Amino acid sequence: MSALRRVCLGGALCLASALAQAAEPLSAADAAAWLQKVANAARNTSYEGVFVFQQGGAGASQQTLQIAGKPTGHDTQTRLVSMDGEQREVRCSQRASFTLMFNGAQLQMEKRLNNRHFPDLLPAQAAPLANWYTVRAGVPDRVAGRECDNFELTPKDRFRWGYVLCVDKGTAFPLRAVMVNGEGQPLVQYRFTDIRLGASPRIDSKPIPAIPDAARPVQNEKIGMAALPPGYARIAAMRRQLPNRPGEVEHWVFSDGLTHVSLFLEQASRPVEPLRGESKQGMTHMIKRQVGAWQATVLGDAPWPAVEAISTALEARP
Amino acid sequence: MNTQPSHIQSHRHAAPDSQGEALSALLDGELPAEEARDVLQHLNGDAAARARFAAYVAIGDTLRGQAVRESDFTAQVMAALQDEPTVLAPMRQQDTRRPLLWLAAAAVGALTWGLWQTLPNPDPAASMVAATTAQPVPVQSADVQAYLAAHQDFAQAVLAPAEMNFTRVSFVGGHP
Repeated sequence: MSALRRVCLGGALCLASALAQAAEPLSAADAAAWLQKVANAARNTSYEGVFVFQQGGAGASQQTLQIAGKPTGHDTQTRLVSMDGEQREVRCSQRASFTLMFNGAQLQMEKRLNNRHFPDLLPAQAAPLANWYTVRAGVPDRVAGRECDNFELTPKDRFRWGYVLCVDKGTAFPLRAVMVNGEGQPLVQYRFTDIRLGASPRIDSKPIPAIPDAARPVQNEKIGMAALPPGYARIAAMRRQLPNRPGEVEHWVFSDGLTHVSLFLEQASRPVEPLRGESKQGMTHMIKRQVGAWQATVLGDAPWPAVEAISTALEARP
Repeated sequence: MNTQPSHIQSHRHAAPDSQGEALSALLDGELPAEEARDVLQHLNGDAAARARFAAYVAIGDTLRGQAVRESDFTAQVMAALQDEPTVLAPMRQQDTRRPLLWLAAAAVGALTWGLWQTLPNPDPAASMVAATTAQPVPVQSADVQAYLAAHQDFAQAVLAPAEMNFTRVSFVGGHP
């Protein structure tokens, strides 16, 4: 590992990490404690602000979103509003999450299958991440007008991408999160440009018309897993429709808490032509192959080894 | 030699409204994938049709009461048409090289991905294999986009524009 790593976040903004001589990895206990602190802060803070979401490095297009979050008892309510492009809103809570799209007088709604998003990137039980990522303190920084501290989450193996989190000095609230590849190049970036911590947002809790669930449970699992990469567990399994495609597929999601890999299972009506691919910037990988009578498509924002390992481990149940 | 598919031909040479209907249907996402692709290719080569399409976009926006940002949208559509990558078949399995899949959402960015929200997905990669090339060939597939969108329900979970099971709820007078 080189003495000084630089994580470039696009354009001229290069984040010089404090790896030079001084920064030792946090001990496992300290790392676990820090991770849990950040996860709690994201969930237990009232806030209002604006953040920018960007895929890829310098010059990649961005989405700007207004966001408000309010902890309510054991839950957190959030509302996101798109600031550019189509007018859309997302409302999330553990109970139900929706995307709303406004087209003049007509409102389109869809139920979301997941209720978590930036800044709530770490899982509720975040301490185990210390098993799979080394945490190192980086340089102090300033994001959205607030003093913050950078931390590098470096994968301990080749089954996941890394992260650089910049968290608010006082509260450990995530102000910036960058998913990085093995060379420290940014893959995905979330960054607050404006934030008011401790604000009391009014998140509309008007009842929303009941709409059917977008997914239903899986019964009679036809595929088994011989093994999963370290730290990965299946966090979701459902039957659902793919966007713009008729019919139902089975969608499983594997995760180590930060990284997500999806598996799509469909009945193979004819022999499946194996296909492998990766996205242009190398963040996402995909393998499609036949497993028993099924077409299994594994797709994840993870390095090749993770997607390959999961695809290889699939076996048809008799 | 006119090699255009028959439905494009009929749209062009039949009553003028047929072409307009095709463009209008394209805008409303009511064309099947193959037809939509043909219309898009036709647009690419026909300036008059493009102008008409731009007019339809503007009309639609006006009817829906949206601020006229039609020039923006048109520019996006035109840019997308020009940028539409050559669609090539996956490499044969005997080939030891891995095909590069051009996963639209990850590779191209939010802008273009959002664009394809309102227009139907392009045809699955089903056409010619590229001539001699030593490089892995890019493939754009509607299937891949669908998987990617579904995956992003869990992976990024911001405003990744994945349309799933819509329920149209109408509120008279605008927002609830």
